[in-house]
Amino acid sequence: MSRVELLSVHNYRSDGRRPKELRDISLSLGTHGHADGSALVSHGLTNVLVTVHGPREAKSRANTLFDRAVLSVNVDIPVFSGGQGGKRGRSDKRVLEFTSAIRQTFEPIVQTQLYPRSQIDIFVQVLQQDGGLLQTSINACTLALIDAGIPLTDYVCAITCALHDSTPLLDITSLEESDLPNLTAAVLPKSGKITLLTLETRIHVDRFEEMFTLAEDAGKVVHGEMLRAVTTRTERLVRAMEKGGVQDHSRTGIERPSARRAEMDIDMDDV
Amino acid sequence: MPRELEPAIAQREFVLAALKQGLRTDGRALLESRKPELVFGEELGMVECKLGKTRVFANVSATIVRPRQDRPYEGLLTISSEISPMASSVYEAGRASDEEVAITRMLEKVIKRSGAVDLESLCILAGQRVWHIRLTLHFLSDEGNMLDCACLAGITALRHFRRPEVEVIGEEVIVHSPEERAPMVLSMHHTPICITFALFEDSSSPVLDPLHLESQLATTTVHLALNAQKELCVMHKAGGMPLSVEEIMKCVKIGVERVREVSKMVNEALEEDWKGRVVEIR
Amino acid sequence: MFSIISPSEPRFDNDVEGERRHGSKQKDAMDFDLDDSENVTSPGQFITSSATFMRGHGTYVDQEEVLASVAGTIERVNKLVSVRALKSRYTGEIGDLVIGRITEVAAKRWKVDVFGRNEGVLMLSSVNLPGGVQRRKLESDELQMRTFFEEGDLLVAEVHQFFNDGAISLHTRSLRYGKLRNGQLVTVSPMLIRRLKSHFVALHCGVDLIIGMNGFIWVSKHAKEFEGQSEEGFEAQAVYSNKNDDIDNATRTAISRVTNIIRILSRHSIPLTDSIIAQAYDWAMEQDSNEVKEMLTDDYGELMVQALLAFR
Repeated sequence: MSRVELLSVHNYRSDGRRPKELRDISLSLGTHGHADGSALVSHGLTNVLVTVHGPREAKSRANTLFDRAVLSVNVDIPVFSGGQGGKRGRSDKRVLEFTSAIRQTFEPIVQTQLYPRSQIDIFVQVLQQDGGLLQTSINACTLALIDAGIPLTDYVCAITCALHDSTPLLDITSLEESDLPNLTAAVLPKSGKITLLTLETRIHVDRFEEMFTLAEDAGKVVHGEMLRAVTTRTERLVRAMEKGGVQDHSRTGIERPSARRAEMDIDMDDV
Repeated sequence: MPRELEPAIAQREFVLAALKQGLRTDGRALLESRKPELVFGEELGMVECKLGKTRVFANVSATIVRPRQDRPYEGLLTISSEISPMASSVYEAGRASDEEVAITRMLEKVIKRSGAVDLESLCILAGQRVWHIRLTLHFLSDEGNMLDCACLAGITALRHFRRPEVEVIGEEVIVHSPEERAPMVLSMHHTPICITFALFEDSSSPVLDPLHLESQLATTTVHLALNAQKELCVMHKAGGMPLSVEEIMKCVKIGVERVREVSKMVNEALEEDWKGRVVEIR
Repeated sequence: MFSIISPSEPRFDNDVEGERRHGSKQKDAMDFDLDDSENVTSPGQFITSSATFMRGHGTYVDQEEVLASVAGTIERVNKLVSVRALKSRYTGEIGDLVIGRITEVAAKRWKVDVFGRNEGVLMLSSVNLPGGVQRRKLESDELQMRTFFEEGDLLVAEVHQFFNDGAISLHTRSLRYGKLRNGQLVTVSPMLIRRLKSHFVALHCGVDLIIGMNGFIWVSKHAKEFEGQSEEGFEAQAVYSNKNDDIDNATRTAISRVTNIIRILSRHSIPLTDSIIAQAYDWAMEQDSNEVKEMLTDDYGELMVQALLAFR
C-alpha cells in the first residue's frame, strides 16, 4: 500500500487543506419536483441526494403506530459511487447499521407525534463518496426534511474529525478515513448537544475530548451554512409567492447551488 | 417480524420512578455492573460468559487457508454472531433484527477493526498459507446487555485459545500436534472491553450494564469499547436523546475505571484456568 | 479560536433587495419587533416567549420559549403565533373543497387520496345515492359500492369533519360534488391555492375549473348548469357515469391550454386565483404562436409571468 503523507510538516493535508479547514460545502434544496422534500448535499467530493416522501398513509398497516408517524429510511450505496468493498446490498450489515443510525438520529428530532398512523419515507441516494458519508447523509436528510415542511425541533449538523498523531483533522476524506482513528458527531446547534457519535479505533481518552469538542464547534459552522441555505431559499420563495416575480428553480430542477466555502482556520500560535 | 411488546405502562412507570431515586429493579446501584462470570470449557478457546442471566458462549477455531490477494501478509479473523431464537423469542432465525445488526457491527469494530488480534503474526508463508481464526458466538440467553457479554466472551476466548505450532521448511508447512509441541497463544495487541450505558430522561446518572427491560425503556444507549491502556477503541451512540459533551465524557471516565477492573478480572481468570491445565510437552 | 473565512454573500441577481414582503399587512401594537428578514423562520428558531403568546401550527414550546419547527413565515392572529411552512402536504379544514382519488373500497367507506398525511375517508352514508330522496343506506347499497366509485376514480368533495386521529372525513352531499369526468387533472402545491369565493370557476373559453384546496385542480369541459338534475330527477347514470361526453377539438385545446397555464404559474410559485388564470389565458391567446405544446418552454413561461406582473 502506498503511503501518502496525510499531514505535511508544514501542516497541510494531502488535499492542501489546513487541519481545521472544511471542504467546500454545497447545499441545494428542492432539487426534485416530485418528492415532498429533497436536498442535494456535497462535502467536497462526497455527494448525497435525499428525497423525503410524506407524511403519508403507511404502506403496511402492521407498521403503523397509533400515536406517531413511522420513519422509514432507505439507503442506496451503488457501486459507481466508489468506496471500497464492491457492491453492498440492502441486507449488508454496514448498510443496515448506516440506515438505523440515520433513523435513530431523526426519530427524536422529527415531531412524529403530530402525524399519528402516518409514514415518512427518507430515501438516501449516495452519488459519490469520498469520506464522511454519514456526515453528508445526515446533513442532506436535515435539509430534505426541512424542504418537505416536516416539523423538526432543531437542525442536525454532522461533521467528521480524525486524529493524526496529535493533530485533529476536520471533515476527512476517504484517504484519511481509512488510515486514521476518526469520529462522526451529529450536533444539535440550539442546545449544543450531541445526538449521534461514532468513533472507530484506538485513540487515547485524553485526546478524545479534544477531538470531540472540536467536532462540536465545527458542527456549528456547518449549521451556519445550512441555515443560510434554508433562509435564502425560504425568502426567495416567500417573495415569489407574494409577488409572483421570481423563478423558483426547484420545479425546473436547475437549482443554483449555494456552493460556498467555509473554512475553520486556526490561529498559527495555537499549534 | 413479531415486534416485541413494549413494557406495560405500570411497569414502565415503576422502573422509571425507581431509577429517579437511584434504585434498580435487581437491587444494583446505577453504576454497578453485574459481576461477569467466565466458565472455561474443556477445549482451549471455549468460553462461556455469564452476566447475570445473560449468557453467551464463544468458541475459537483455527484453520490454514490462502490469504487474501491484497493482504498477503495477514491472517484472517471472522466473527459469526447470529442471534438465534434461543436467546429470546423476539429473535428470528435468518433475519437480522436491529439489535443483531448493532451487536454484529460493534463486535466487528471492537475486535476486528481495533486490531485486537495481531493479524500479521498469523502469517505462515507469505501469500501462500495463513491462519484463519474463526470466532463463533452463541447467544444462549438474553437478559440485557448481550453486547458486553458477547464481547467479553469473544475476547477472552481469543486469549484463551492456542493454535498449534507450525514449522516451515522451504515451501512445506508442518503442523505439530499439541502433544508434540506446546500450542501457541494468539498474539494480541490489546484487550478491548465493551461497556454499555443506558440513559434515561431525568435520571441523574447513566445506568451501567442495563437489563433487557431497562434498555427497552432507555431514551438512548452509549456503547464504549476501551482497553486497559486508557485507549478508546469504539464509541457508538446512534440517535436517541441528545447528550451534552459533559455527559458523554462522564460515561467515558466511568468506562475507564470499569475497564480496568474487568481486564484485571479477565487476566486472573485466564491465569487460574491455565494453572489447572496440564499441558504435556514431550 | 476559529475564524470563519467566507467569500462575499451569495447574491441572486433577480432579487430585489429591500422589497417589503408584508404587503398589505399592517403592523399594530401587538406585533413583535420583527423586521422582514426575521419574519422567515427555520427549525429551532426563537420566535417569542410563551408567557404572552400561544403556540400554533409549525411551532413548539421549549423552556417557555416559542420556537419554530418548520421553515416558513410567521403568522399571528391575536395571541396565537404560528408558522406557515412553505411547502407541506394538505392539512384539511372543515368546509374545504378538495379533489381526491379513490384508492380503496372498504367496508361502508371509500379511502380517498387527497394528498394529506393520511388517506381521507368517504363514508357510504355521506354520498348521495341514486333515487334522490334521503334514505338509509341499505345492505344492497353496500354491496354495489363499486358501481358508485371504484379504485382510481376522481371525485370532488367537501371536508366534512375530522376523525380522532386527524384523518379527514369527506362528503359529497351536494349536486356539485361527485365523480369527475370530461377533463383532466393538474396538481400543484397546496400552498399555492388561495381561498376563493367559489372554487367552481367557469372560464369564458368554455372551460370549467374546480380548484381543490389540496392542490388538485380539475380542468374540464363546461357543464350546463346542472341540466335536468333537480333533486328528484337525479340519475345514477349521470352522476356516477364513467363515460365522457363528446368534446370537440376547440374545447380540448382550451383545456390543455388552461392546464399548461396552471403548470407555468405553479412552476413560478404564483398563487392561483380564477382571475390570474383568466388573464393568463387572454394573454396566451394574444400571442402569435398559439401552439399549446410550445407553452411549456422556459422562455414562454418567463414572458407570461412578466406580462402578468405588469398587469397588476
